[in-house]
Amino acid sequence: MSVESADLSCEHCETTTEHELHYAGRLLESVRCTVCGHRVVLSHQALLPAYLHDLEHRVASKPQRMLRRAAANPVGFTLTLPFAVVRQGPKFARELWSLVRR
Amino acid sequence: MTPTESGPRAALVVLAAGEGRRVGHDTNKVLLPLAGRRVFTWSIRWAHSLPDIGEVVLVIRESDRDAVDRALRRELPGVEVTVVVGGSTRHESEWAALCALRPRIEAGGTDVVVIHDGARPLAGAAVFSDVIEAARSYGGALPVRDQPALTGLADGEEATGERTVAVQTPQAFRAAPLLEAYSRAEVDGFVGTDTASCVERYTDVAVRCVPGDAGNVKITFPEDLFLAERLLAKADWDLSAPDPRPDAGRHQRRRRSR
Repeated sequence: MSVESADLSCEHCETTTEHELHYAGRLLESVRCTVCGHRVVLSHQALLPAYLHDLEHRVASKPQRMLRRAAANPVGFTLTLPFAVVRQGPKFARELWSLVRR
Repeated sequence: MTPTESGPRAALVVLAAGEGRRVGHDTNKVLLPLAGRRVFTWSIRWAHSLPDIGEVVLVIRESDRDAVDRALRRELPGVEVTVVVGGSTRHESEWAALCALRPRIEAGGTDVVVIHDGARPLAGAAVFSDVIEAARSYGGALPVRDQPALTGLADGEEATGERTVAVQTPQAFRAAPLLEAYSRAEVDGFVGTDTASCVERYTDVAVRCVPGDAGNVKITFPEDLFLAERLLAKADWDLSAPDPRPDAGRHQRRRRSR
């Protein structure tokens, strides 16, 4: 689960305020206004199929993205590849856990 | 007029400097992740899939430079983007971009300038193509959506038949008159609310409306990010121009039939 922040319009505050955005994988899961606490949350029923659809796209496009990075920086890509592979397991485990525990 | 391989091409200006407000940590929403990319890189990707788009100018604020450079390297490799720092208003940011484009416009290498809001990630290749074509034919073009529900009528008042429309971006204009309009505005100290207001004040270029796209949302409220995510997924994360290669269409149809 990653967290970002940005200025967005809050319909409760009726002005632009700082919001905290929570992501599951690369999908937005919830947004909270840091001033009034108003939250917009994607329901579990909507998030899970969306996550699976997105995961399918991520897996299908991965070889192309890896080739692009390898072509752009072959040495850097080769050196970082083992670490990147090792990181994938825990990364997906964290994503799945964040979905399951909602 | 259709541009040839060596002929003039359209230049894309993407405004990503924000609106000059300073709230909280003031994180620029165009730098938010959206389905694996930063918001502002999506529309550059779609526009750049058109062979007609030549130079790309991205207007940012200085404090975002490092994050923007990282996003460009990672998400738009191979796309040459000129990054310029904008001002506190949209007009100032457009002027900064036009100053960067001036040499190519004056040399005749750029015939149309397309100005786009970086907070509209779902402006697909089709709408970019429509405004460029209309700008070449008429002088200027804006994508609009009819908004009849916004026309309020008092009791007993009859409808006037006038259209109420919501104006979107990308907006395109012939490059030379646009540069002239902004040069004269700079001398006069005029600050327009949008590109068309400056063009209409200083030139007699006709500005035409082209049909906008309901999916071309501007990221303003939190809900817009959820909607943009869903619309991208529905489009199979592809709003680019069709690949002209003969076998590319078959691949796209297969992918989209899932």
